[in-house]
Amino acid sequence: MELAIFSQAIGEYLRPKRVLPWLVLGGICAVLAFYWRTLQPRTLPVEQYATVSSMLVFRIVALASAIFTTAIISQEVEQRTIVYLLTRPVPRWKLILIRYLASVIVVGVLGIIGALLTSLGAFRGMGGNPLLAKDLQALMMGAFAYGALFLFVSLIFNRAMLWCLIFAFGWETAVPNMPGSMNNLSILTYMQAIAEHPATQDQSKVVELAGALGTNVISADRAWGILIGLVVVMLALSAWWFTHFEYVPREDAE
Amino acid sequence: MDQNPSRRGGRLINLENVSRWYGQVIGLNDVTCQIGPGLTALLGMNGAGKSTLMRLISGQLRPTTGSLTIFDMSPFGNPEVYRRLGYCPEIDNFYEHYSGRAFVNFLGRLDGLSKTESKTRTEEVLQMVGMADRADKRIAGYSKGMRQRIKLAQAMIHNPEIILLDEPLNGLDPVGRREFIDILAYLAEQGKTILVSSHILFEVEQMTRSILLLHRGRLMASGDLRVIRSLIDKHPHQVRIETDEPRRAAVLLSGLPNVVSMRFERTGTALQLEVREPDEFYDRLADIVLQDGLKVTGFTSPDNNLESVFKYLVGG
Repeated sequence: MELAIFSQAIGEYLRPKRVLPWLVLGGICAVLAFYWRTLQPRTLPVEQYATVSSMLVFRIVALASAIFTTAIISQEVEQRTIVYLLTRPVPRWKLILIRYLASVIVVGVLGIIGALLTSLGAFRGMGGNPLLAKDLQALMMGAFAYGALFLFVSLIFNRAMLWCLIFAFGWETAVPNMPGSMNNLSILTYMQAIAEHPATQDQSKVVELAGALGTNVISADRAWGILIGLVVVMLALSAWWFTHFEYVPREDAE
Repeated sequence: MDQNPSRRGGRLINLENVSRWYGQVIGLNDVTCQIGPGLTALLGMNGAGKSTLMRLISGQLRPTTGSLTIFDMSPFGNPEVYRRLGYCPEIDNFYEHYSGRAFVNFLGRLDGLSKTESKTRTEEVLQMVGMADRADKRIAGYSKGMRQRIKLAQAMIHNPEIILLDEPLNGLDPVGRREFIDILAYLAEQGKTILVSSHILFEVEQMTRSILLLHRGRLMASGDLRVIRSLIDKHPHQVRIETDEPRRAAVLLSGLPNVVSMRFERTGTALQLEVREPDEFYDRLADIVLQDGLKVTGFTSPDNNLESVFKYLVGG
């Protein structure tokens, strides 16, 4: 039963029309990293990689999470197929957590593909990237964290995707660069702490957009702890909420 | 003592003073009833509260007040209930890119069937609903009738004791309706508890005598459809007969004891009657047509619908 739920969810998320745009975005990251040297001739490959990774690949995870996570439940409600899932002998908490896991795996893998392609572009090959291993961990953790947060948002708000996109693009762009400890309220900050990207000397607007200005003072261990805590709390709240509340398509309930 | 209501032959679905509000709007108002094995029809006009009742019984909604139990358990989000309950929703939504076979098989797996069991049961239920040879096409390309059949198949896949069907005959052609009704009759004979909602009186009469009559959220009547019919029959029915010989028709029909009043239409080609015990009147009308050669070109009874039934029952 659990395997059937997981396989169905993975099958849904991996439909070509859903996955193709993300692979194209990964390709764009690779091309951008490749030509970054032309734009910034004095930068090292590792800086090129770090900038493109922070600016695009980490965003891909946030954006993909917003889109795939809302498909877990709210899309089922909107297309009114939720009834087939909720009238089966599957505990609701189990249903939502399995579907969450499927979406996180897909989002994480898309992020990892983006990082690998970026590394390929920046280093003109797969070898020699000292940041890659930690980046992959950060991206996977980011997929879990964004997924858990957006899952909860999708359960309690209408038009959840809009709110998630605003968070992914607006909040996560502005907050990491804010003064004081405001950056502690951003998932991206913790992802960057896990990734341990080196502080860049490049003060361009693009780097500002990447949220990579200054030195990240949060330790990797603390970042792991906070993101894992966020995931646990958000998933517990989501499971409780989904178990106790009614999910009947709006027009049917009137 | 055996605590299993189905083995006791008792009522599997129990509602006591169940009400359901949607904000300021009431969907179901103080309904008390029990539903046991066999085929029961839930009859009511659009907006009567049939789907609300179905969603309460299928555990998608909770009652605002009152108590609802199935197998002595609350159905809301209860896997124990869903193991023994199949639900065919009114909605026409599916995973459109799935084939009918894959869709039913997937839901069989969610019902806890093993891969092999689910595959076997999928073939059995597809055969039963007449879709075995057409179930490999994508659902997106199905006709309304095929979609209804697939919905019924997914409700039966785990061989549940209770099957809820919300307006299952919508969109079916006459042959399809007959086949569907035969399937439901077969399932009822097997001892299943089947609850079918409909807003068409004629449709329900073909299926069962056991009904629950809902009107504006209230349970207006329950029991044998014949009892309700007899209540209806005590009230004069409107009957309109089209004929080229309205005066001759009036002479022939005026002798019948069921005719309460008659009126000629200005067109001169139709007669409007008020009759009691309409079924008996129709039999006698048929005799007159055959024996006296009265030519009837058209025949309608505007009262033979649910709205009239409710008017009679509320004394409107």
